[in-house]
Formats: sequence, C-alpha cells, structure tokens
Amino acid sequence: MSRQLKFNIFRFNPEDPKSEPHTDTFMLEETPSLTLFIALNKIREEQDPSLMFDFACRMAICGSCGMVINGRPGLACKTLTVELPEEITLMPLPVFKLVGDLSVDTGTWFRQTNTKIESWIHSDQEFDPESVEERMENDLANSIFELERCIECGCCVASCGTANMREDFVGAFALNRISRFIMDPRDKRTDPEYFEVVGTDQGIFGCMGLLACEDVCPRELPLQDQLGILRRKMAFVGLKNIFKPKEKGRHRRF
Amino acid sequence: MSSSVDTAIFVKPPTRVSAYLDWLQMLTGAGLIMFMWSHMVLVASVNIGPNVMNTIAYFFEATYMAQVGGPIIAATMLVHFILAARKIPYTSEAQGVIWRHARMLHHTDTWLWLIQALTAMIILIMGSVHIWTVLTNLPITAAKSAMRVQGGFWGVFYLILLPMVELHVGIGFYRIGVKWGFIKRSGRKKFHRFENIWTGVFILIGLITIIRLWTLPIAGN
Repeated sequence: MSRQLKFNIFRFNPEDPKSEPHTDTFMLEETPSLTLFIALNKIREEQDPSLMFDFACRMAICGSCGMVINGRPGLACKTLTVELPEEITLMPLPVFKLVGDLSVDTGTWFRQTNTKIESWIHSDQEFDPESVEERMENDLANSIFELERCIECGCCVASCGTANMREDFVGAFALNRISRFIMDPRDKRTDPEYFEVVGTDQGIFGCMGLLACEDVCPRELPLQDQLGILRRKMAFVGLKNIFKPKEKGRHRRF
Repeated sequence: MSSSVDTAIFVKPPTRVSAYLDWLQMLTGAGLIMFMWSHMVLVASVNIGPNVMNTIAYFFEATYMAQVGGPIIAATMLVHFILAARKIPYTSEAQGVIWRHARMLHHTDTWLWLIQALTAMIILIMGSVHIWTVLTNLPITAAKSAMRVQGGFWGVFYLILLPMVELHVGIGFYRIGVKWGFIKRSGRKKFHRFENIWTGVFILIGLITIIRLWTLPIAGN
C-alpha cells in the first residue's frame, strides 16, 4: 500500500493584486522513485495548472529547482519523497525575489554578486588564439574543479543566517567562488586585491560560521573547509599589512 | 568654476577594519574561554579542601593577579561583547528574521548561535554583578564563598550563571574551531561531540562545587 502524500505548498503571485500569500494542500499517491520534481509536475498536470515552480534539467545540474523542503533548502529534483514524512511543506527560497509560488529569481542576485566579487579571471596577458593552451598540474585542476561544481542554486544563501539578516552579505557561494580564483594561477590578482573584494563584513568576516551552507549544499561542496581557509588567509593578509599605508583608490584594472 | 569635481570621493577606500575586529573578537573570545575553564578548575579546588582553595586565592591576591587581572578580565569581557554584538541584530525586524529562520531550518548550529547570543546578554549582566561582588569583597576565601551561596539568593544566582557561561564558552570554542578552519569537515562531528561532553563535564564540576559550597560548614574555614 503506497503512502498518500500531503503537500502544503506556499502560494502567492506578486503580479496579481488579488493574490494573498497562503498555503494550498494537495494530496498525491506516492509512486516508486518519486522525486519532488515529478510530484510537482503531477500536481500541476492533474490538480492545479496555475502552480508556479522552476525546473530545467531534473538532474541537479541546472540549479533551478531550489526550494525550502520541510524547512531545509534543497533541490526538488534531487529529493526523493521516500526520504520525507507523509506531510511535505514546500516554500520558496528566502533572500531571493519571489516570482510566484515556489519560483524565485536567483539569476539577478547571482549576477550582482558575481559582479561585486569580480568573478572572472583577471589577467594582463594578451590573448593569443593561436597559442597552445597553458598547462596546469592535474591535482590543481582537480581542486579548482571541485569548487567549480557549484550550480548557483541558492540553497547556501537561503540557509545562511547572515544572508537572511543582511542584504549585502555575499554568502558562501561568492566566498567559494573567490577561493576558486585564488587557487587559479591564471588569475593575476594579488592577496591584497582579493582582500579588497572579500576582506570585509560583507565578505568573509561577515560569516558567523553557522555552517548551514555546508549542511544544505546539494553539491556537497567543501564550504566549511573553504570558508575556514579563506578566513585565515584574509585575516593574515589584513594583519601582514598592518603597518603598511593604505593604497589609494581601487585596485588596478586588468 | 574652480576645479573639477573629485569623483574619487565616492569610491570607498579599502579598509582593514573588519579583519582587525574579527581577529580581536576571536582572540578575546579564546582568551575568555581559557580563563573561564581555568577559573572553574580553580574554584573547584574547594572540593579537594577549603584550604586548597584558600591557598590558591591567597596566591592570586599576594601576586596582585586578582586585583589587576580581575578588572582586565571584566574589560576583555566588555570588549568581546561589543565586538560580537556587531553580529547580533538590533532591530526587532532583523531579530524576527533570524528567529523565524532558525525555526524553519531545524539546524543545530544555527540554534547554537541563538543560544550564544542569548546567553551573552545574561552573562554580560550576571557576570558583571559577580565580578563586582567578588572584587569589592577581597580576599576570596572558601568561607566567604560558602556564606554567599548559603544565603540562598547567590546560590540560585550561580545555578543560573553556571550553565550560561559553560554553554556560551563551549559553543564559542566549537565555533572558533570550525570558523577559522582549525577543524575540517571530516573532524566536525567528532569535535562537536567532544565539545558537548566537555561542556557537560564543566557544568557537572560547577554543580558539584556549588553543592559543596552550599554544604560547607562556615566556621573554621
């Protein structure tokens, strides 16, 4: 006898002036290997075509279907209902702008944050399309790739106490991203230049170490380790330059 | 028109203040953790014998460590409070945000932070009262401590302050470990369990000490 699942789903359409935030309840029979992604599609197909939620890849690669599942941010496509109790409450991710129901706009936030931390390789080398690609040690490439696996789903930001309280906090996502560039020899930024980007209370020093990011990350990125390494590194960069005069203005342009 | 507008004025100059404050917050915290654990061990010496406690107290006063160190500890506590309070939301709106967030998330480490913030407020007041009472009534002797506890009010006072301090200090110890990368992902669970047991042991030692003081015959000590 399969379980009857009870879904409590947050409903609100900011575009509709008549819409009030509320919870709708849907019943669905559990089928083998049912994921929340399949369940939501079934509910939309069979019970309520107006239900809004995001998805694209259904295999934890695109990062669209992040939502709060019984209190915990996670990916709908990666969550099997067998791991959950019969009653499942789904809410949109906090921090991000609500599009409607379970759909949030993570894109704008990530775009802004990526711009803020200058999330690209800074190099003064002229690009030569004819030359052979620069070589890199395999171990180094692997450790960079480990951090590159982030899919920008927003779960770390939504689960972060600091990010919930302070709009300007860049979150584990950005701190992990900067760690990736610090590792990369192609990025010519110096430690003081990285410090300018994340050595603030909006950056690594705003992190209170609650580690919810570490615990919810659907990609299981080593956020605890990376944030610890980054805090130590940035703290020492700050200390090392304690007697040096401050450089004027922003860092050099590449 | 005299000169052109200095547009650079709108560019925030780089600052290292956040880094220094984070260092100070951690170092004052680590210092206070070490102090609180040593303090507990020293006071617990009354369990071995009132004379042991008296001798230790005499040593700290004869060397002026209590008279000078006491106010320094109080000042460190205040500095640590001011630094750490930067992270605690001041508006009821933000307080509501973190409260609802913690209730939604069912996440131990997030709850631990709320416990830290709450115990901090209680320690700030009760700790100050305790420091004032002890330092304005030197020398410290087992008999005087016992008399205070046996009065009833102070007994209850310390029964409240003890778990507050030990929780705050224990969680702080764990937090420094994971936040500054001393404890890696692989060691976190073990370290957390160790911190729980360690805190439990100190609360137990504290309770035994309070009971000992409550039952200590005052005459002759």
